[in-house]
Amino acid sequence: MPVIDYKCENCGSGMVFDSQTGMLTCKSCGRQDNIQQMNDPIRQNVAFERETVEYHCKSCGAVLITEPATSATVCSFCGSAVVLADRLSGRKAPALVLPFAISKEEAMRAFRKWCKNGRLTPAGFMTANRVKSITGMYVPFWLYDLNNHVEAHGHGTRVRVYTQGDYQYTETKHYEIYRKMRLNYVGVPIDAAEKMNDELMDRLEPFPYQRLQTFKTPYLAGYLAEKYSYDEHQLLPRAKHKVSPYIESSLRATVGSYTTMSFASKDIHTEMRRANYALLPVWVVHYDYNKQEHTFAMNGQTGKVVGKPPISKGKVVAWFAGIFGISLIGMKLISLAMGGDFL
Amino acid sequence: MIRKILLSSRPSFPARLLPLLLAFILTLAAISGALLLVSPEQRAYAAVEGKKLIYDEAGLLTDEEIAELNALANKLGAEQETDMIVWTTSNPEGGDVKKLTQDFYDDKGPGYDKQHGNAVILTVDMKNREIYLAGFYKAKTYLDDGRLDKIRDRITPSLTDGMYSRAFKMYIETAHRYMKFEPGVNPDNIFFNVGFQLVVSAAIGALIVGAMLRNSGGRVTVGSQTYEDSNSSGLLEHYDHHVNTTVTKRKIEKPSSGGGGGGGFGGGGTTGGGHSHSGSRGSF
Repeated sequence: MPVIDYKCENCGSGMVFDSQTGMLTCKSCGRQDNIQQMNDPIRQNVAFERETVEYHCKSCGAVLITEPATSATVCSFCGSAVVLADRLSGRKAPALVLPFAISKEEAMRAFRKWCKNGRLTPAGFMTANRVKSITGMYVPFWLYDLNNHVEAHGHGTRVRVYTQGDYQYTETKHYEIYRKMRLNYVGVPIDAAEKMNDELMDRLEPFPYQRLQTFKTPYLAGYLAEKYSYDEHQLLPRAKHKVSPYIESSLRATVGSYTTMSFASKDIHTEMRRANYALLPVWVVHYDYNKQEHTFAMNGQTGKVVGKPPISKGKVVAWFAGIFGISLIGMKLISLAMGGDFL
Repeated sequence: MIRKILLSSRPSFPARLLPLLLAFILTLAAISGALLLVSPEQRAYAAVEGKKLIYDEAGLLTDEEIAELNALANKLGAEQETDMIVWTTSNPEGGDVKKLTQDFYDDKGPGYDKQHGNAVILTVDMKNREIYLAGFYKAKTYLDDGRLDKIRDRITPSLTDGMYSRAFKMYIETAHRYMKFEPGVNPDNIFFNVGFQLVVSAAIGALIVGAMLRNSGGRVTVGSQTYEDSNSSGLLEHYDHHVNTTVTKRKIEKPSSGGGGGGGFGGGGTTGGGHSHSGSRGSF
């Protein structure tokens, strides 16, 4: 049975995950079930041979319209929350899930507030009255545990300048430097959904990992969910790329006392200790402005909003002129303080 | 043009933009004010037929040039209450240029406020190809030896090239500008330069607005510490071997007082008539 839905044991209505209480909730009668204590139906029928091509809603029988990567959705005819079990089992079973903490209404409010605070966005955009859709989506991420072994050789100098008599002396001490470090990173998130913009997803961080839960399908009830498009080995290069500036800055921090520093050799060996498949909560907002669609994403736990808003040229000019004017007055005051005239 | 963009961007302006607009208008006012004052010399020379301040006894200038310089000297001199004098001489008796200048002051007794009053004199001795600058009374304080040296350094190249009118104009303008600064202040301090002030302000504006633009789409708020497991991370081994030390030395240039330039010497002094003055001397 590849389609799972959640019927209330009291009244038979569809149940959905409630971000306030963290429970599976029936909107009709108010029944609440603790998800961690529930028997997840996905654990009972172990393996599915292959993915079904067509899914039918168990409530109304209509064909569920899904994309190949969709693993949870809402029936477009009757609105029942459904989970496509064969896309979440076996190799594709997420280990962890970070449930939504922000409800749709809160997300909408937070997004409006964010729009209003946009200092460079056009006034028409700031009112946020053209939101086309706001969708709660569990985005598949790989959380990498990476152990790095770093060895670096380099050359550093310390420069001291002093005067003696009529001469100014510049003393440069040269050092040969060696550093061997272990740098272990835990839970480096890399989004594994093909259709999510990587740059956008990177800016959503950090996610509060302490609220991660063991994966159970009822968390997905009422939301969209995707399955990963790339596995942990395919995305390892991205993970390595992501931690390389961290390694660089940690290495730099050990040679902070030098005036100049250059590394002749840097040996970085990265070992993937583990990659956890986790679903992280993201509110996706589609916004029509000036006949252009803008996509924004909001961290479903922290409420952080990212995305490229439209920019008002007038406001950019106004801000520049304002700062320029204040700076100019500041410069004039400095000039005045140094004994010059104001104008 | 900027204004046009602002106005055309939207019909109704939110109230919170008002302070910005105000600052913008203030800026425009400041710039236009500053631009006006950068070059007050450039604003139409009213053909003030004032005192005779240009004594071209060596015949280096045309009549038009004399008239123009005289008008400029009268106008800018009045702003600083100082007579700005140019005296060129073929020096038939071969006197010393400093002595000549002192005698010139004693004889003619120039001064904006009174006989033997505030004056600055540029003497050009065509026989020995030497010049001497002297500042009397107010000009002695506001155009001390150091400032006169600066003026001399500025005009000497033009004199060497025989562009006398240009050199004299530069002398009058620079003397006028330097007198606006209190004594003891370096008048060529880069912070007094309007161009520098504009460039720095524009750079600050561009930096801040650039950062705002970059951050408009959400900032990256994770760093190298976010995902680091501090318990198992750290420095395992390291060494810092001192290889060698190199030392370079440089002689400190003593600020040269007076003279300098074209081999001149001596600053100010006192005229035979007992008028003390600042001075700068050099050849061209």
